[in-house]
Amino acid sequence: MKRIVLSVLGTVIGLVGLLSFKSHGHTAVGATQLPSAALNRTGAPATSPGSSSTGAPPDPSSSPTGSASATSKPGRNYDGSAVETQYGTVQVRVAVTGTKITDVSFLQLTSTDDRSAYINSQAGPMLLQETLTAQSAKVDVISGATYTSEGYLQSLQSALDQAGIK
Amino acid sequence: MPLSRRGGIGPGLAFALIAAGGLAVTLLWWHDTYRVSGLGDWLTNAGRLTGLWAGYAVVVLLALMARVPLLERGVGADRLARWHALGGRYTVSLSVTHTLLISWGYAVLDHRGVIGQTASLVTGYADVLMATVALGLLVAVGVASTRAARRRLRYETWHFIHLYTYLAIALAFSHQFATGADFVRNQPARWLWSAMYLLVAGLLLWFRLLVPVLGYFRYPMRVAAVQPEGRDVVSVYVSGRSLADLGAESGQFFRWRFLTRGLWWAANPYSLSAAPRPDLLRITVKVSGGHSSALRTLRPGTRVFAEGPYGSMTAARLRRPKVLLLAGGVGITPLRALLESVPAAPGDLTLLYRARDADDLILRHEIQAIAAERGCKVHYLLGPSRTDHHDQLSAQRLIRLVPDLRDHDVFLCGPEKMMERARDSLLQAGVPRRHIHRESFTF
Repeated sequence: MKRIVLSVLGTVIGLVGLLSFKSHGHTAVGATQLPSAALNRTGAPATSPGSSSTGAPPDPSSSPTGSASATSKPGRNYDGSAVETQYGTVQVRVAVTGTKITDVSFLQLTSTDDRSAYINSQAGPMLLQETLTAQSAKVDVISGATYTSEGYLQSLQSALDQAGIK
Repeated sequence: MPLSRRGGIGPGLAFALIAAGGLAVTLLWWHDTYRVSGLGDWLTNAGRLTGLWAGYAVVVLLALMARVPLLERGVGADRLARWHALGGRYTVSLSVTHTLLISWGYAVLDHRGVIGQTASLVTGYADVLMATVALGLLVAVGVASTRAARRRLRYETWHFIHLYTYLAIALAFSHQFATGADFVRNQPARWLWSAMYLLVAGLLLWFRLLVPVLGYFRYPMRVAAVQPEGRDVVSVYVSGRSLADLGAESGQFFRWRFLTRGLWWAANPYSLSAAPRPDLLRITVKVSGGHSSALRTLRPGTRVFAEGPYGSMTAARLRRPKVLLLAGGVGITPLRALLESVPAAPGDLTLLYRARDADDLILRHEIQAIAAERGCKVHYLLGPSRTDHHDQLSAQRLIRLVPDLRDHDVFLCGPEKMMERARDSLLQAGVPRRHIHRESFTF
């Protein structure tokens, strides 16, 4: 009986300890170990070589499985950097007229597995809608789609930086 | 001859290795997890962790039972079995927790009901469906292994039910890679994880199948004679050629399969009850279950399939010149073999033999003969189980019988309760823990 209590307690304490570590400011440890590029939402403006406002869109064979595809509206298009998250790649295209965001769409929204695809299909349209409403990258992270949201925000930020929108 | 018959991985080291593996699995999660935010994330990640731990623990459980000589020698078969039993309960609990947390966590993340979410997980992913069946099997095996169920099940039935865990492990494997967040994109982790499973599968095949089969052909054994030894006790003599090469010692046991129509499929552990001879081994068994009562009907000439030798309760453990053998009931059998062969000067060897009454003493004539020849002291501690006024195994009583008790190495074998009581008294009498050597066989 003592053993049972001890092992249950030990497991629960271990779980809570590990999880609370990850939910506070200690994410730097995890993030630096991630194979993907930094997922830092408020970090320095991404100026990865792949991103350019005038360049051709990325190779279509890189499987854009997102719920939206690239569109072209009046105004000028800016492509954000392609951000690798743990569950896939996110890249956005922003159409800007003057200082107004007229449209935003996914160039890439890939997923590593069925579940991620499902999450993306839910979160993707919400992120796009929130961006148009906010007219900036000040968009809330969608709970349950943390990785996609943060990747999205980073790509969006890099596109807006190119467009000169703060 | 094995190179190092004393050596082996001790309990401390074995436990440290198991813990290190658990830590590595936890680090895998740590490495793959960016941030945990919100209830859904908390639940899902707790589910991932418990799942990873369960997937690891189940491999450890198999490794403990793989009859690896390093472990059998160093940790001891009885302790391995205890760890396996405790770890088994823990693993089943982890698996159930994993399932509940993942279903709940996904439901929260998707803003759905738990039941609907669970249904769509089970029906939407073939691997998850298989894993669900595996969970059912694991829980069933766990239930069959609880104390209450074990009292009602025959050993053989329980053993048979236990084999379903292999199926469960195989069924649960694919969902770990197909849906496990830590493996989907992490090729090295998949390799390591697979290597771990393959390694243990290899150990099982090698030590539980190939080694015994090869041994069967190399040391063909047959029943030489069956001899009743009094109330409900029977000795079986097994003959063979060059059995000395097996390296068996007094105090050890084999897992015996007698190849008759009714017995061949059950391998039961019985200790050697006499020092092994190059042409003859002997076991002495108290008749209790279906398997042991069938031993009485064995005919000479019956082929014997023996796995072993196992067990670490041998003269190699001795560190002191004085030796006390403390036996309870049928636990006398390995100690009777040690009485014959353990190195000790006349006067340095003592046997205390606890039994309910004189009729329960087995092999008594042999014991008397050996004691007379070797000059060892023998005391029989008879009487009913312990009461408040009367305790045959109290520290005071043991010290009165063996005044310099604390200078002895003690070999202890008997029923679980008797061993616990005896160990407490020995510690109380000042015998250091490392000088108490024991092995129990409760299955």
